[in-house]
Amino acid sequence: VIHKQIVSIPDTVISEEEAAQYDRQIRLWGLDAQKRLRGSHVLLVGLRGLGAEVAKNLILAGVKGLTLLDHEEVTEESCRAQFLIPVGSEGQNRAQASLERAQYLNPMVDVKADTEPVESKPDEFFLQFDAVCLTGCPRDLMIRIDQICSQKNVKVFCGDVFGYHGYMFSNLGPEHHYVEEKLKAVKPSEGTSDGPDTKKPKVDPSETTMVKKTASFCSLKEALEIDWTSEKAKASLKRTPADYFLLQVLLKFRTDKGRDPQPSSFADDSTILRQIRDDVLEAQGLASDLIPDEFVSYCFSEMAPVCAVVGGVLGQEIVKALSQRDAPHRNFFFFDGLKGSGVVDYFATK
Amino acid sequence: PAEVLGPGGETELADSVSSCRVLVVGAGGIGCELLKNLVLTGFKNIEVIDLDTIDVSNLNRQFLFQKKHVGKSKAQVAKESVLQFCPEANITAYHDSIMNPDYNVEFFKNFMLVMNALDNRAARNHVNRMCLAANIPLIESGTAGYLGQVTVIKKGLTECYECQPKPTQKTFPGCTIRNTPSEPIHCIVWAKYLYNQLFGEEDADQEVSPDTADPEASWDPAQTAARAGASNQDGDIKRVSTKDWARSTGYDPVKIFNKLFKDDIMYLLTMDKLWKKRKAPQPLDWAVVQEMAYIQEEVSGQGLRDQQVLGVKGYAQLFCNSVETLRSQLAEKGEGAQLVWDKDDPPAMDFVTAAANLRMHVFSMNMKSRFDVKSMAGNIIPAIATTNAVIAGLIVLEALKILSGDLEQCRTVFLNKQPNPRKKLLVPCALDPPNTNCYVCASKPEVTVKLNVHKTLVQSLQDKILKEKFGMVAPDVQIEDGKGTILISSEEGETDANNSKCLSEFGIRNGSRLQVDDFLQDYTLLVNLLHCEDLEKDVEFEVVGDAPDKAPPAPNVPEEDKNIANGNQDSALPSTSSKVPIEKDDVLIVDSDEEPSSSTMEAAVEMGGVKRKLEDVETGGAGSKRKRLFELPINDDDIIALD
Repeated sequence: VIHKQIVSIPDTVISEEEAAQYDRQIRLWGLDAQKRLRGSHVLLVGLRGLGAEVAKNLILAGVKGLTLLDHEEVTEESCRAQFLIPVGSEGQNRAQASLERAQYLNPMVDVKADTEPVESKPDEFFLQFDAVCLTGCPRDLMIRIDQICSQKNVKVFCGDVFGYHGYMFSNLGPEHHYVEEKLKAVKPSEGTSDGPDTKKPKVDPSETTMVKKTASFCSLKEALEIDWTSEKAKASLKRTPADYFLLQVLLKFRTDKGRDPQPSSFADDSTILRQIRDDVLEAQGLASDLIPDEFVSYCFSEMAPVCAVVGGVLGQEIVKALSQRDAPHRNFFFFDGLKGSGVVDYFATK
Repeated sequence: PAEVLGPGGETELADSVSSCRVLVVGAGGIGCELLKNLVLTGFKNIEVIDLDTIDVSNLNRQFLFQKKHVGKSKAQVAKESVLQFCPEANITAYHDSIMNPDYNVEFFKNFMLVMNALDNRAARNHVNRMCLAANIPLIESGTAGYLGQVTVIKKGLTECYECQPKPTQKTFPGCTIRNTPSEPIHCIVWAKYLYNQLFGEEDADQEVSPDTADPEASWDPAQTAARAGASNQDGDIKRVSTKDWARSTGYDPVKIFNKLFKDDIMYLLTMDKLWKKRKAPQPLDWAVVQEMAYIQEEVSGQGLRDQQVLGVKGYAQLFCNSVETLRSQLAEKGEGAQLVWDKDDPPAMDFVTAAANLRMHVFSMNMKSRFDVKSMAGNIIPAIATTNAVIAGLIVLEALKILSGDLEQCRTVFLNKQPNPRKKLLVPCALDPPNTNCYVCASKPEVTVKLNVHKTLVQSLQDKILKEKFGMVAPDVQIEDGKGTILISSEEGETDANNSKCLSEFGIRNGSRLQVDDFLQDYTLLVNLLHCEDLEKDVEFEVVGDAPDKAPPAPNVPEEDKNIANGNQDSALPSTSSKVPIEKDDVLIVDSDEEPSSSTMEAAVEMGGVKRKLEDVETGGAGSKRKRLFELPINDDDIIALD
């Protein structure tokens, strides 16, 4: 594995304009983190609801460059599905149509549109980025791109929203380095007699120190191809979110049908979904009530508020990885919009 | 927009969504994200209200605004931006305060649902009461840094916003500020008081000179009295007001410097008992400071200019320059003028930075950069887009449950920075039923307040107790004395003559009862009074039932200015912005209001005091533990102890 140091801190000064605009986030994650963001290039695939949220979050955070890649066209429906595409854009390319409003979010970021299908991109294309975020992509494509990126320490993120449900996945490589800020404290010194009223000049309670840490991540392929028939896997089943299996079902639907479940074919798609659920669970020796029948009602369309939640978490994970600050979530995040619960869990074959 | 379908693909919910009217209170960090989510989900009839204008520091997250909009009305620009991608939305924008009496109970009754996107307690209390009065569901929320929270309030079904006492803003005793500071924040508060004493509105609760009546300073009570007497006779420190003295010197920076950092410090040194167990302060003399060298900056300019820490000479120079600038500002405004502190006014910020640092140096503390001082002095809450995006998404999900009639599915949801031991990053918790003793939503709310009837003025009762503590906007007070004596009328001018009188002058004594009404909020509170002569120093009243550490603030707690005209009021007290680690899994969200400058009001997380169940409702588990949490965590790991 070739270790590319992600974003050496550029030797440039933060401008007055940036200091003013980014003030409230510099106060949260510090100047170093902001500088690293400022040197990062990100590829975002898919500009539907979730993609638009991630784009907004990264542009506001102040990355150096963001490439919006999507080969699909704006339809009448997709016009109202995300907030970057202005009305009247039907027939235009989705990435292209999103470009102007995306750029307005933050003129200091270099936002580009790429209208080619991601499947047609050569391997080297992905390696020019520090991080790649895939939304709306079929399973095999995601696995392939994840493998390409891992070779060169390009951080990989995947995410999708299906109705009230959503997930994100990340692969930051086998050795992701980051820092955490910890408080310092001083033990009270023995020796001097302290009266009850004594107020000694304390160590400033806001002094902190930075601690270096490392986290390791497995590939997407490994995370998705767990054998649940093994004894070990069966034992951990009780603590495993059912959403993981729901994801498998939805990815299979996407592979088989070349699209996601859509309201206009609700009845047929529901039948297919239930069938896929049966197949997926049976193949793994799992009970079919792991995913109850009602699930079909809640996984159609991208619900806007669910895109906001998943896009927020996903966007922040990308920011954390690029800035190398704060512990990343390993390696899946599942959101259930009906329950309001958001769970982080690690899935790997080994 | 994504279609909102019921279990069988039905569209009742979608119909309800597109036809109902909703109110969004606030168009800032949460508000922008919320408006976007609402229209994309299919909400068509939205009213949004915000009193504030756009500032450049908003642009990292309030994405409906661009640089060209700085200075304009948030509500107005938010509406225009949303119409760009959803022209068929029917949005009404109000550039106004929600506490304006125009927005009465009838106004609130127009809506199926109200969603708060606020950053201050006063407004939250007010909207809480209006929604109770109108019997409309309210979705309350808040964020700070990486943390956030959403909850639902429905009269009779859930706790209201005021069912659980919230921690009051942290205050420091007068003698800590004036005599024995031990932390930078004490020096910063002192510097803000100093600004007001010299250039702004003088406030008896914001004294900066040495406190001769400090109980710690005397070896016996007789000595305290002697000391207090002596200074009165000398006619120095206590007699002449700081402003008058400064005027008499022509606001000479060197003279002011020497008084504050040399003479007053030397006086403190004579109060020798204070320094028995503390490091004594070391006076600074201007002439001596001039002999010092400037500290060479090591940082080559890679950092933010504001993050540099100057040396003593640097801050002395800054002090001098800012005094001169402020002096001119004052002169320009003319006779009897007053300045109002604003963190975004450079000379005002310079002044506080310089004065605070000089005092820190005198008291042997490490000095702080302007950047850090601004955070503390301005109560700045760090804020990012993603946290607000998540919370605003959760708000709409709760809204959908309400519109479906599924109130029992509603939850309080907490957003953590890291997953809890049960792997949850987003933790839903069941809502609690109303507190039957709540002084707001109980059927006949009642409280008991301890105070000194011979010392408490009617004005104080109105401002500090009824408005500040009990959240009323326009109280009417009757004494239950059989005659229905009117103590305070909300009508302008009617009871002004009463303001400077003590309560006892109206026959109020131990056991007296007051009936207090706020007609706008449709709220009546019965207040029982207990006469008490030995309240703690600096404590003017105590609400019985509040735990001691939540005793009402010391008299010097100005709330944010309810006057929206460029509310430049200084919230002189610090927020609990110190980073105190708490147990993993617990999140707390504290009221840390940033002060409003003429252009900005930051979103503060404000739901302190919310009980946090460690077990969530779905899995049950071994009973839920309830905790009251009050610190804002920066990280939830252990402290690293150093020797």
